Amino acid sequence: MSSSVDTQGIDKVRDWILGRHPDRTELAPDVNIIENRLVDSLAFVELVYAIEDASGREIDFDAIDVEDFQSLATIERAFFS
Amino acid sequence: MTGAAPLPRIGVDLVPLTRIPELLAPASGPALHRMLTPRERRMSDQAGAAGRLAAKEAVFKLFGAAGQPVPWLATEVLPGPGGRPAVRLTGRAAHLAEQARLGPIDLSISHDAGWAVAVAVAVAAEDPPAARATTPSVSTPTDRRAHS
Repeated sequence: MSSSVDTQGIDKVRDWILGRHPDRTELAPDVNIIENRLVDSLAFVELVYAIEDASGREIDFDAIDVEDFQSLATIERAFFS
Repeated sequence: MTGAAPLPRIGVDLVPLTRIPELLAPASGPALHRMLTPRERRMSDQAGAAGRLAAKEAVFKLFGAAGQPVPWLATEVLPGPGGRPAVRLTGRAAHLAEQARLGPIDLSISHDAGWAVAVAVAVAAEDPPAARATTPSVSTPTDRRAHS
């Protein structure tokens, strides 16, 4: 079970993604954000920063595993647990 | 006889100029500092930045490495001979190009109606390096520049 801080962190990431898509009001944890083009290759760099900001962790861009960024669920497992 | 013919590869991408201010905003990191090298940023206005981003993505598509993040900073787009753009690969980008067995990469960038578009072309060798004894133009991994 995530702590309240971790929940707040992933919520920030969810809000960041939803902020870029005003037509959406929710984002399920298992939705593939890349395949559904919620984040394109330019926005991916911004997403990394948003996760760094929300998690307080620095992410090595050259060591990224894109699988970790597929969905809110994978992002939460990789960066907020 | 060396076997199958080399394969041409092409990559294309387009970027709206309106994305550049977003990527420069403090709230984004700013993300553009993770995508353009200091040298590229010094020589780029908004259109130049958009053209470079499109060019980097076009080059990335030559690698056949879908699913990996674009090696933005390791793919540097600078002025080449005659004012044509030239691409310089280092680090992970150079490694991906070598894995794809790419020869020299040629690049073209254009702008119109608030968009930047870029096309990248290269030839991927079919034969392993040892069998390409008569091919003189194979680039080294750390310095692949477009030839004018």
